Formats: sequence, C-alpha cells, structure tokens
Amino acid sequence: MIALENIAKSYSRGDVAIPVLNGVSLEIDSGQFVAIMGPSGSGKSTLLNIIGCLDRMDSGTYRLDDVDIGSTSDDELAVVRNGKLGFVFQLFSLIPRINARRNVELPLVYAGVAAAERRRRAIAALTRVGLQDRADHTAAQLSGGQQQRVAIARALINEPAVTIADEPTGSLDTATSHDIMHLFTELHRLGKTIVMVTHEPEIAAYAQRVIHLRDGVIERDER
Amino acid sequence: MSYFRGGAYFRDMFEQALWALKDNRLRTILSILGIAVGITAVMAVGTVGKGGRHLIFNELETFGLKSVWIFRDFVEKDPRRAVRKGTGIDNGDYAAVDAGCCPAVRHVSPVIRDFTYRPSVRYGNQFAKSDLHGVNADYLAINNDNLSSGRPLRVEDEQRHRRVAIIGPEVERDLFGGSRSAVGSEIRIDDQKYLVVGVLAMKDRGFLESIGSAGGERTNSRVLIPYTTYQQMRGNDEVTFLQVETKGLDYTGAAIAQLKGVLKRRYGDQYAYKTISMEQYIETAGRILKGVSVIGAIAASVSLLVGGMAIMNIMSTSVLERTREIGLRKALGARRRDILLQILMEAVLISAIGGIAGIVLGLLASVGLALATGFPVLPSWWLLAVAFAVSISVGLLSGYYPAYRAASMQPVVALRYE
Repeated sequence: MIALENIAKSYSRGDVAIPVLNGVSLEIDSGQFVAIMGPSGSGKSTLLNIIGCLDRMDSGTYRLDDVDIGSTSDDELAVVRNGKLGFVFQLFSLIPRINARRNVELPLVYAGVAAAERRRRAIAALTRVGLQDRADHTAAQLSGGQQQRVAIARALINEPAVTIADEPTGSLDTATSHDIMHLFTELHRLGKTIVMVTHEPEIAAYAQRVIHLRDGVIERDER
Repeated sequence: MSYFRGGAYFRDMFEQALWALKDNRLRTILSILGIAVGITAVMAVGTVGKGGRHLIFNELETFGLKSVWIFRDFVEKDPRRAVRKGTGIDNGDYAAVDAGCCPAVRHVSPVIRDFTYRPSVRYGNQFAKSDLHGVNADYLAINNDNLSSGRPLRVEDEQRHRRVAIIGPEVERDLFGGSRSAVGSEIRIDDQKYLVVGVLAMKDRGFLESIGSAGGERTNSRVLIPYTTYQQMRGNDEVTFLQVETKGLDYTGAAIAQLKGVLKRRYGDQYAYKTISMEQYIETAGRILKGVSVIGAIAASVSLLVGGMAIMNIMSTSVLERTREIGLRKALGARRRDILLQILMEAVLISAIGGIAGIVLGLLASVGLALATGFPVLPSWWLLAVAFAVSISVGLLSGYYPAYRAASMQPVVALRYE
C-alpha cells in the first residue's frame, strides 16, 4: 500500500545542497508495524515526513493506496492526510487551549463531519485509549502519557489507513513509554498499519519490521 | 468539493477565533480601541456633515432657495464717465418683469430699501429699531415668510398707497411687549401713522448671522410697507432692487440673463448691474461642508489605518506564536482556506467588536453634542451601516496578509518551528 521508489531529498543551506535521502526504495504492506531507526542526520524523520505527506520529495515516486502523491496539490495532500493518515508527534501533539475531546475531533472538523457525530466518535476513540473520563481536560491538565494517548485517539478517529508516529515516546519515562507501545501493539493486532520513527532499540522492538537508515540510504531491513 | 460546510463549520471557526483572542487579551483590547476610535470619527464626520447641511439649508431657505436679486452696480467701470445718479431700476422695469417678459421668473417683488436710513418706529412711548422695506404682495411668498397673525399686503394696498405695515416679531416685542395684539394698532414710522395689518413669524438665521453671512438684514426687525407708499414718501419711482423667484433651481442662469436683457433694452449701457443668487450660496455652503467632511474623513482614515495596522500586528504575532499549531492543523487535514478563514475570522472579530464599540461611542457623542449645542441631527441608519461595513473591511484588509502567510506555511516547516 505504501510504495516508495528511488526517493531523493536534499535541503539547501546557503548555496550548498545537503542531501538527506539518496534514493530510498521501500514497500510497506497493509497491516505492517514498521519502525524506522538510524542515527541523527540519517534522514529518518525526512523519510517519515514524506510518507506522511507533510513534505515533498525532490525526485522519485511515491504511491499511497495507488494515489500518485508526487503529482498532487497542497490542498489535495491535505485531503489525503485527513482521510488516509493519522499522526502522533513527539512534542506539541495537542492544541493547548481546547480540551481533549475537541482535539480528538479536529480531523473530523476538517472532514466536515457534523458536531453530534464528531462528539460520539471522539468519546469512542478516547474510550479506546482509556481516557473517556478526561474528555473535558485541556492539555495542561493531562500528563505526557495521557497527552500521547489523546493524540493516538485523534490519529484513530478518522479510521486512517496508516498511522504515522514520530518519536511518540521521545519525551516520556520508561514505564509510560511501554504503556504507549502496548497501545500501538494492540492497534497493530487490530489490523492498523503503523510507521514509527524511533532511536530507541527497545521501542523499535515492538515493531515487526525495523528499517535502519544511514546517510540517506537503507542500510538494513530486518523482519 | 464542498469547502464551507455550513453553520457548524463556521461555529467551530468562530470558537477557535474567540479562544485565540482571549489568549492575547491586552493586545486584542488595544486593537479594538484603535478601531473604535476610527469608527467614532467616521460617525462624527457623518453626523457633523449631515447636521451642518440640515442647519445651513434650513437657514438658507429663509431667503427663498430660488431667489435672485438684481441691483445696480455703483462701481463705474469706465473712469471717463461721470457716475450717474439713481438706482437704475424703476417701476417700469418692475412692470416689464411682472408682465412676463422673463419666462424663467415666477414671481417678482420690487424692494425699496435705504441702507443709510433707519427710521425710528414708535408706538406710544415705546421705540423699536427697524429695517424698513417697501415691497409688493408677492414678497412674502418669495421669501418663505409666514405671518404669525394678521393678513398679508394686498394689491389694493399698493394701488391706493395705503399706510399699512407688517412688522417683524422683534419690532412687535419692542413696541407691544406681548401685552396686546399689534394687529389693528397704529404705529408711527418717522411720525407718519401706519396701521399694523400683520406680524411676521420668527425666522432663525442664528448660524448665518453668527458668521456674518445674513446679508446685513436683521430679518426679525423688518417692517414691510407697500413699495408705492415708500416711493411716495421718497418722491420718486425708483426701486432699490428686484427680488425674483425663479421657476426652479435650474433656472437661475436663465433668469439672470433675462433680467439683464430687460434692463439693457431700456437703458443700454447707462448702468451696470449685479446679481446675487441663492444658487451661489448653496454652492458655497456645499463647498464648505464638503471641506469639513474631507478633513474629518482624513482624520477618520488615519485612525482607521492605525487601528488596521494594530490588527495586522497582533494577527502577525499571533500567527507566528501559533506556527506549530497551524502546522498541526495542516497535518490533520486543514486546507489553505480553512486556515485563511480562521485567521481572517479572528481579525474581523476584533474589528467588528471595535466597530460596534465605535458606533456606540459615536452615538453617545452625537447625543451629547445634540443636547449640549442643539445640533439638530442624529446619525442615520445608513451611517451606522457604513460605519459597520468600514470596520469589517478594515478587519478583512488587515487580517488578509497574516492569514495568507499562515495559510501558505508548509506543514513540515511549521511543525519543526521552535
């Protein structure tokens, strides 16, 4: 379902172009739980951003569910993200002013779902991550682990094909990290496709496939 | 694709905007104040413009808006010629105009006035200052004059050189003190007995008199007698000037040309004539009011510009502070228009609140002004609508740039922003 072919991407710093990805080809099947690892500067976040349709590649082709992502406009990409992708970020996963339920509802707001339906589905998603009694709390009133669980509930609410997780446990303590990973494992068991970036081997160990990136190329693909 | 998904979507946007504004309370209030001051100024300009027009035109109307005066120009333009005597107008000219030789003229009255002669008017031992006019029966209609009591001058009064008079309200007050009716009483003008047949209604020219533009006439001290009676007293048939009412405001030029033509046919180049028309005064008043309005509009624009810049500043800062939030929203599926709409709505919310505050302030100010000065007019619904529309426009214009910047952010860049 995710098919990357010969993806290249570089950033320009002043006059110098710094290559980040040097021809990455990769296929991820539906239902896989994939971890992307690598030292900093290896290009793992850039790869994740391209898979998540947050960034564009310089060359190569990317097909997501047979949609050619390279040739879509910004607004079409927004629709793809809204309908096919869910996101869990390391930091600033929630909008601070509004409560957990409203944060979870956001993808549905942009999808144009009616308020009553949004509310029902948001409560259901929060229940799935065990936070139904925190629906009215704002981010400031939630712990780091709870915030990530709200973010996971939000990533699930539009029933996305793929969940994109960028260091989802990066700012959590060990016990909470494992709680979160149990949640991901459970989602995987239910058939979700998950693509996650991490630099911690024990977090990557939850995935069924680990892709090692170094200097913008795939070094190892462990299944 | 349906972008604007009905009321619920807008309500969400509106709530988001409210939250954002509450977060920056002080800056929000300052921007609201800026807009409010500008809108108050807009209201003030509108009210003063409209009130001023009302006031000035009410007073100009007391001269008869369609009036034209023609009189001899005593400044001899040819230095080789000796200055002739006389007013250059007599009963024959009046008769010609009255007989209909000037198609643009509806009514005409000869007016006899002597600016050097202010006869004393007496009743018993009470004296009054007066401004003596010899006029005909049409004079009252031409000047929009009403009588508070008695009857107008009649054609028989002219024909029989009757000693009858219509007196102004101030003359009545000075002579009779409100104690008894003036009509039917005999007064003395320069020791000649006159029967008072009518009293003029009060006319308000307070504003024009205060700026010295009432033509030197003390309108409420007029004493009107038949022109024939006045001519008999003076021993000639000269007329000081003719006052005519034209067929309409558009006939001023034609009436002047026709009047001058009549006089030229009779006298050739013996006399030069001058005319004054109400049209000139109306134009002058219009120009003055326009000038006042332009100055006011400039002041209002400046304060609206400042208010708009304050909104642009607060929105730019707020967009910058929320870069990551905007990135997150985009990641979750917000399109350009979703972000654009949200930021624009915040800006319009500020300017609309400022606009309403300004309208309330403007209303209070104009009510206060009306109570304090007797200024006659309050703002119209139309002006309120304009003021509100202006404030919304300021919000849209000043919010557009920050909104455009926010909408154009690439999600990956925004999410990485520290």
